[in-house]
Amino acid sequence: MSGGQLLLFVVGGLSNAAYLFIVAAGLSLVFGALRVINMAHGSLYMIAAFVTGVVANQLGLTLGFWGGLVVAVIVTGLVGALIEVVVLRRVYGEEHLVQLLATYALTLVIAGVVRTVFGANYRTVKPPAAINFSVTLAGNSYAAYSFFMIGAAVVIGTGVYILMYRTTLGRNIRAAVSDPELLSASGVNVARLYTVVFVMGAALAALGGAIVAPSQAVNASMDTDVLVLAFAISVIGGLGSIIGSLVGALIVGEVLSFGVQNQYTNPYAIAFVFIIMVIVLTIRPWGLFGKAEQT
Amino acid sequence: MTRNSPRLGRIPSILTFSLAAFVLAAACGGGGGQQNSGGGFKGTKKVGYSGALTGQSALYGKAVSQTLKLAMDDLNAKGGVNGYKMEPVIYDDGTTVDKATANFRELILQDNVQAAFGPVTSAQCQATSPIAKQNKTLFLSATCNSYQLSTEPDLINPYFTSVVPNTYMEGTAAGRFVAKLGSKRIFIVSPKYLFGVSETNAFVASLKRANPSAQIVNPESTWYVPFPTNPRWDSTINAIQSFKPDLIYTNIFAADEINFVQQAQQVDPDFFKKYPFVDLSSVDELRALGNAYPLGMHLYMRAPFFAINNQRMNDFVKRYKERFNEEPSDWAVLDYDAAMMWGQAANAAKSFDADKVIKQIVGHSFQSLRGYSFTIRAGDQQADVGETIGTTADSGGKYKFPILKDAQNLKGSDLIMPKQLMQELRDGKCEKDGNPTTTDFALCPSWKQG
Repeated sequence: MSGGQLLLFVVGGLSNAAYLFIVAAGLSLVFGALRVINMAHGSLYMIAAFVTGVVANQLGLTLGFWGGLVVAVIVTGLVGALIEVVVLRRVYGEEHLVQLLATYALTLVIAGVVRTVFGANYRTVKPPAAINFSVTLAGNSYAAYSFFMIGAAVVIGTGVYILMYRTTLGRNIRAAVSDPELLSASGVNVARLYTVVFVMGAALAALGGAIVAPSQAVNASMDTDVLVLAFAISVIGGLGSIIGSLVGALIVGEVLSFGVQNQYTNPYAIAFVFIIMVIVLTIRPWGLFGKAEQT
Repeated sequence: MTRNSPRLGRIPSILTFSLAAFVLAAACGGGGGQQNSGGGFKGTKKVGYSGALTGQSALYGKAVSQTLKLAMDDLNAKGGVNGYKMEPVIYDDGTTVDKATANFRELILQDNVQAAFGPVTSAQCQATSPIAKQNKTLFLSATCNSYQLSTEPDLINPYFTSVVPNTYMEGTAAGRFVAKLGSKRIFIVSPKYLFGVSETNAFVASLKRANPSAQIVNPESTWYVPFPTNPRWDSTINAIQSFKPDLIYTNIFAADEINFVQQAQQVDPDFFKKYPFVDLSSVDELRALGNAYPLGMHLYMRAPFFAINNQRMNDFVKRYKERFNEEPSDWAVLDYDAAMMWGQAANAAKSFDADKVIKQIVGHSFQSLRGYSFTIRAGDQQADVGETIGTTADSGGKYKFPILKDAQNLKGSDLIMPKQLMQELRDGKCEKDGNPTTTDFALCPSWKQG
């Protein structure tokens, strides 16, 4: 493989990793703070993709995508807030099984609503004009949009990291994980804090859905497609760890990119992702960057 | 507020459970038909369809569902079938094999359907055809089309019949077409399951026969991509750039085709000018991409309404558009033909009994919306239906998507598998080391003899 070809596959893998990281980071954030495995996370991603499609096609090429992205984050954030207040607050104290069933039920409800509101037809979204061009590197063409996705993942990841480790909100979220009663006694409204965290998770799902919309057919099965890979990434990296989500996404993205095109690994490309997941679960059940919780 | 503080050590089992629960729950069927016999009918009978209303091929299931409603209304307007009002029962299978299998059992055992329309993918039909056979229910295939469904000894079903050109016919049409184009360096990309492998093998065999100097540039083990979930196409796009072929041959479809085209054009707006493709496509993909569908691409299509001009088709398009507010896709045309064929045969049989109805299908001819009459031949019970080939071009404002220029409607009789080849397949003479899963017509004695 030449250097140029190597670069092609590395960038392809990074594009894969970029949107998967954004989605998995939201999943991980919600689990880390609320200890809820949110099966409806993919549904929020799907809602955002559809909203982006509708708004972008209304506004046109120049502003359409950006307007769609903003509206998608707002709409999905509101849906997230509704879910947290109406459903999740009632199951925080329950077994994980109850939480899983509750969030799975939400995926069915949202899938039905999305099909009713948006229809079964696929939708396509054009990238914003400013970043809809190609870049030539080492004799090969690349989509500028792929670099935008990679850059967006870096910015969003950095933002989430700063928010979690450099702000009062982040400190409160981390405190809520270890001792919510003490945090509540110190005057923090923990119930509202949980809502904020879930909305943040929903917003990350929305950013993933909006950013991926110009490069994929927006359709009513996007939720399950992304959820399986996002779970694999979270398990590999460690649920609750943003750094873990980043590393997990990089592993999955590059394994898929190199795996599919190599003649010897092609038949097993997707299987490799889950083999890695099983190995990590066996050796380090809390993931590469997760922390084992003490009893 | 009290919260759980589970040990993280429990998380793996919770995740395993959640993933398993998600998959299992997705296997549950949904929807159902209602009994509603109208005046003048003896009662109500049902026909069933388990189709992809969600998942990778959701577009196709929607078109088939719509056309079945239209077809049943048309049959009912003419007095129904054997005096009974017909009602479609439609279940969503999410483009998954497991759900299609569960749906088929429900359609046959609980809904007591008189005939079942095959699901979208060949993998689903491979799993559901034996259920229809076991329960003596007619299986009408108008979308899934791997020739193995009617020739592989383990899959042969006397109640199976197909009105869609099978993979032998389509691969042959595409192979001859590419040979005519004179392309020397061809890159192949195909979905990794029965349909993709079957059609790609037929394409390669046909191409090699018509143009022995044509070279497939990528190794065979990289022809196939995961199906149905393959949202990112970076690897394939990168590989095409690396190999720099004259032409891409592909039979990816639905969401995969849309994603591939979108992402390749973002990599290079001139990507498909440099690397034009020959692809199996349908009105659905053209409509989904609209003006973004690249022009100058060579498509083979099963029944594009805009390339078939006859009174029956024009009337169908008009009524379909009035009712569903869109033009019919290829799948709508094919399933309408299948429904009308079944209705005509059941009326001629004066019975719903599958043995009696199939006798009125095999060896008989039926009018098609495609502008000709087709005959279901004995043996593989395959219709001699054609394929449309052409090059994408602007519709001049007539539609919001490209159409085909210089479209040719190939004759089914020129494409259908030779009887001797079909018989050798059915006799199990075309397998590697006697392994039935390796059935391939290119292994048959008569094919090898040329």
